[in-house]
Amino acid sequence: MNQCPCSSERTFALCCEPILAGTPAASPEALVRARYTAFVKKDFDFIERTHAPEVRDDFNRAEAARLADEVEWDYLRIHSAKDYGTLGEVEYVVSFRKEQKPIKGATTSKFRKENGEWFYVSSKPAPHIANLRITPKVGRNDVCPCGSGRKYKKCCANPSAEDARA
Amino acid sequence: MTRHFRCTACGKCCYGQLPLTWRDAEANAHLFPLGMVWTPVPQASKDFNLASQLGTTLKLPDRKELAILVVPTSFIPATRPCPALVDNKLCGIHEQKPARCRTMPFYPYREERFQNEVIKIKSDWECDTSEAAPVIYADSKVLESVDFNTERTQIESEAPMMRRYVEYMMKYTPTLANQLTLASTSGKAKHIVTSLSSFITATRYQDAKALARRQIPVLQAAIDHAKDKPELADFLRYYDSWYKEMSYLSQ
Repeated sequence: MNQCPCSSERTFALCCEPILAGTPAASPEALVRARYTAFVKKDFDFIERTHAPEVRDDFNRAEAARLADEVEWDYLRIHSAKDYGTLGEVEYVVSFRKEQKPIKGATTSKFRKENGEWFYVSSKPAPHIANLRITPKVGRNDVCPCGSGRKYKKCCANPSAEDARA
Repeated sequence: MTRHFRCTACGKCCYGQLPLTWRDAEANAHLFPLGMVWTPVPQASKDFNLASQLGTTLKLPDRKELAILVVPTSFIPATRPCPALVDNKLCGIHEQKPARCRTMPFYPYREERFQNEVIKIKSDWECDTSEAAPVIYADSKVLESVDFNTERTQIESEAPMMRRYVEYMMKYTPTLANQLTLASTSGKAKHIVTSLSSFITATRYQDAKALARRQIPVLQAAIDHAKDKPELADFLRYYDSWYKEMSYLSQ
């Protein structure tokens, strides 16, 4: 089974793959996951086109390509994700190794929805979440934070049910 | 104070890092490995006012200000001769040589009235500073000041571009502010070095591909020079990164 790089414990085909292929991300969290996966898979076109228009030209693709070559990715951990309709905010930690040295990047990113698509707007460091291990409490009947639109109990709470859902 | 000086073309000042205007950096991208060198100038420094004009200022958490100079630089170790220096110790690009070289021994990032202090002739240089050499500085004025003014004017004209770059870097690399604060207070690292790729992204440089193609052989030569020299490990790390970025941009 081909696990999605974004640490969702779902298969790539049911997680980030369709988003990378062009299906709009359903939530800010889903976009964070897909952009992380795009980094792992070196899909810089995806990262560039999911930048909001006003920051798209700021993307230093050469640097991103170099970093993607130099690091080994460990995991993405979503600490909190807020979807306010047309604005979103996600706190997350990215863990990777560079020259064997483990590095953790804790970040808060803002997102904006335009014509049904989420775009990355800005980031700032969020050192206060770097070493927390808490994941937000999701009720079994809540909407799954992965952005699938399904209930949590029928989605990421029960990864083995994927085939039944598909 | 009167200073005498005549260049004897000994070539001994043509070593190590060479601060450039962006115009000179771009024109010589096929010769110099280019990096962006950041220098924080504390409020208490006599260079603060000029540095704020030629660069920008940054508010620190303690409400003090730092002036920030960002200078495109031929980024080579102090022990390596300038890539434009030819075998007979003369400049291989004399007619088009950078403003920085023309203005020696003056320094554009310090006010004219303090230039006396920057005329520092190292012991192994063969400059003629005897009474027989022409007077180049008197009554706090640079005589024959055409080159000095040209360099200063060029730097001033590029200041808006450098400010745009600083804003960009502060936005996307917020840890830089801390690094600059640290560099301004610590005895060791007084500078921070950032990449050409970030500069050309921030300033929307139009022909990145051509510029990258000119940098690649230069960076390869810099890597060849620095590798297997443990004392140049820091330089090598920058060159390796920049080589990768320029290779990517050149495609």
